[in-house]
Amino acid sequence: MNQGFPLSGASTRRSILAAGAAFAIGITAFLPSLAQADDYPSKPITLYIGYGPGGQTDVVGRGVAKVLADQLGVPINVVNKPGAGGALAASQLKKEAPDGYTAMFHTNSVVDADPFMSARINFKPDDFDYAGMVTAFQQGLAAPKDAPYDSIQEYVAWAKKNPGSVFGSLSPLSKMYIDQIAKREGLDVNVMPLASGSEMINALLGKQAALVLSGGIHYRYPEETKTIVATTTFRHVSAPDVGTIDEAGYGLGIDARTTLILPKGTPRDILGKLSTALKATETDEEFKAIVSAADIPIMYMDLDQAAAEIAKNYAKNKAIFEKAGIVPQ
Amino acid sequence: MDYLVAGFGNILNFHTLLWIVIGVTLGYVVGAMPGLGKGTAVAVSIPLTFYLEPVSAIAMLIGIAKGSGAGSAVSAILINTPGEPSSAPTAQDGYPLARQGKAQKALKMGLYASVIGDFVSTLILIGLAAPLASYALLIGPVELCAILLFSLTFIGGLSGNSMIKGMVAGAFGVFFATVGIEAETFVPRFTFGLLELDEGISLVPMAIGMLAVAEMVNQAGNLAHLDSQAAVMLNGTTADDRRVTGAEWRRCLPVIAQGSLIGSIVGILPGLGASVGSFLSYGAAVRTSKTPKLFGTGMIEGVAAAESADNAVVPASLIPLFALGIPGSVIAAILISALIMHGLTPGPLMFKQQPQMVGDLYAALLCASLVMLVVGTLGQRIFAKVIYLPNRLIIPVVLFLCCLGAYMETSSVFSIYVMLFFAAVGYLMRKLDYSFITFLIGFVIGPKLELTFRQSIQILDAKVSNLGHHPISIVFILLTGITVVLIARSHRASRLLEASETN
Repeated sequence: MNQGFPLSGASTRRSILAAGAAFAIGITAFLPSLAQADDYPSKPITLYIGYGPGGQTDVVGRGVAKVLADQLGVPINVVNKPGAGGALAASQLKKEAPDGYTAMFHTNSVVDADPFMSARINFKPDDFDYAGMVTAFQQGLAAPKDAPYDSIQEYVAWAKKNPGSVFGSLSPLSKMYIDQIAKREGLDVNVMPLASGSEMINALLGKQAALVLSGGIHYRYPEETKTIVATTTFRHVSAPDVGTIDEAGYGLGIDARTTLILPKGTPRDILGKLSTALKATETDEEFKAIVSAADIPIMYMDLDQAAAEIAKNYAKNKAIFEKAGIVPQ
Repeated sequence: MDYLVAGFGNILNFHTLLWIVIGVTLGYVVGAMPGLGKGTAVAVSIPLTFYLEPVSAIAMLIGIAKGSGAGSAVSAILINTPGEPSSAPTAQDGYPLARQGKAQKALKMGLYASVIGDFVSTLILIGLAAPLASYALLIGPVELCAILLFSLTFIGGLSGNSMIKGMVAGAFGVFFATVGIEAETFVPRFTFGLLELDEGISLVPMAIGMLAVAEMVNQAGNLAHLDSQAAVMLNGTTADDRRVTGAEWRRCLPVIAQGSLIGSIVGILPGLGASVGSFLSYGAAVRTSKTPKLFGTGMIEGVAAAESADNAVVPASLIPLFALGIPGSVIAAILISALIMHGLTPGPLMFKQQPQMVGDLYAALLCASLVMLVVGTLGQRIFAKVIYLPNRLIIPVVLFLCCLGAYMETSSVFSIYVMLFFAAVGYLMRKLDYSFITFLIGFVIGPKLELTFRQSIQILDAKVSNLGHHPISIVFILLTGITVVLIARSHRASRLLEASETN
């Protein structure tokens, strides 16, 4: 009994202290964020890119960083944090302070598709805020130019007659596409793994693969490759005559849009400022030159449209992956 | 050709030359520092190139890549810590030479071999880019798989004293390379639930740990001995120890020619990289040498073989980039994004739409080769002074640079843990006399062999008879078989010889 009193007394005192400290931290955390929203940004912003330097997302991200720096008047510090297709950078971003000074530039797939493919991803779309979307990748199924099929229907007919044809697969997503198509149409297709985008182009140009899922880089080779179906929900700017996979009745359209992602709880004023600054990508000549050289169309969405897009994609992807029977690994 | 001549006119101005010199110098310095590599240097320089005109920007980036290839020989020779994994074979003979007081000789040979390899490969790029690139497309996964299988037989020449130990180390290299998400079914292997390991163990922090950190720990345990040795060796006794003699040139030129060719071929083939080039060239030099047993004890040919191939890979890896728009290496991938950022699309269209631009770039590439010779000659004088420093000063600096280099690779502390883990592995391998060269070969070639094998099975529809459509791969499979039989025979012969000598 004697021992109980001092102990409980100490713990009460400690909890009061802790509450006071928490309160103080709360105030100090709250005050600067109030002040920050007004004069944001007042210091350099760190921008994570979840791939190493040299890829498509990296190119767009660096272009966007330059536009943001011009618009906001502070330097944007681009940090490449490669690993697990961007999931590593996103996990790190989740832990950062929601003050608008740490952001990530990545395709929406990292939050609305990857969680259905990797069991080790511990975040959902709700764990982040979104300031807007800039470009959309022209993902589609691509084939060598002289392949005897120009549409998904013709490919299916051809593949039925040619069992054992090769499909080049770069990611779980590409494998999902061919598995779904093969299952529905009863095709016998060999799925050849590919390690990188350049290997994919090699396989197309060297005609080792009859079909691949391309993120859009095949548009750089108009004389050697063609798109037979867009796997996005929209028709491609670079090939407006080619139909989408949803038009063909598969319901597998998934968009990959580069998104400015921020930690959950970022003040709306800050998101708004970033969203407005992002809109300048539509008119920035230098940025337009970059994305047109890379065949990546600008499809700007503001912060509300971006949040709605992510929510919509998450629901659609969930349905697609559950129907495909894909269990996260 | 006219464009090339005009290109020289366009780039021979103060502004462009300045950026080439800056690029080569930066690359050379970064390459010479253990732990820091060209990948990091090029990536860090990208934002800077935004503000330059396209030719200066690309020339500077290429300068970095070229310069670091030459610079990495410096630390390999002087303190046995290769600046890049591709210079690991350079250290095999370069460091023993330095310990014999022939550091200047080894450094000079390293530089000359680098410049020649680079120059030859650049000429191949300019003259033959288009036809070679279209030929390289015929090398699909089935052919590549057979070529990789053949290149594994070179492990024999690199395994040091014991073939068995060399093969054990190579097998461990393959094992560590299996970590990560497997490319066909996307099952994570040996990742222990760590997202950081999804894409496997990264070569850069692994190589830094195994080559540089482990070596520093090893030298720290040997301080007194090394310092007393340094006092004696310093600069060699005769003038011949400080320069490359005519006789050595005659021995090395064929090796350099062979290395330049191997490096160029490896550069054109997709995704092999400079390490494979220098390993193969070193292995080939051992195989063709009259005195293979002397390699590893300070053969100047070893330095020439490794460095010529190492540097020949860089320009050759630009062949698929210029001709087809496909990056053959990490550097080429970064160059693509640099070109795109300047509104240019690399590939065949570039030759048609902007031939003058291509001419300018070619001129800048040739120019960078010469700049490399000048920067290297001057740089060596400065860096060679490192050898006068006591090890207790060198070791902490190197360890700091190693941490920096590992961290910068992925901007994450995890890379430093990877580096430390492989430092421990590397230390044990040194103590137990296992070759870390064969380990590296296993690590670099193993996963590519696995991938191309899986790809081949799909392409061949799992039928051996379909191999008939791939004559190139049949040739290499036969070559592999013949080489293995020859190695086994020569081993038995040498063992019989030893046995008869002891009797």
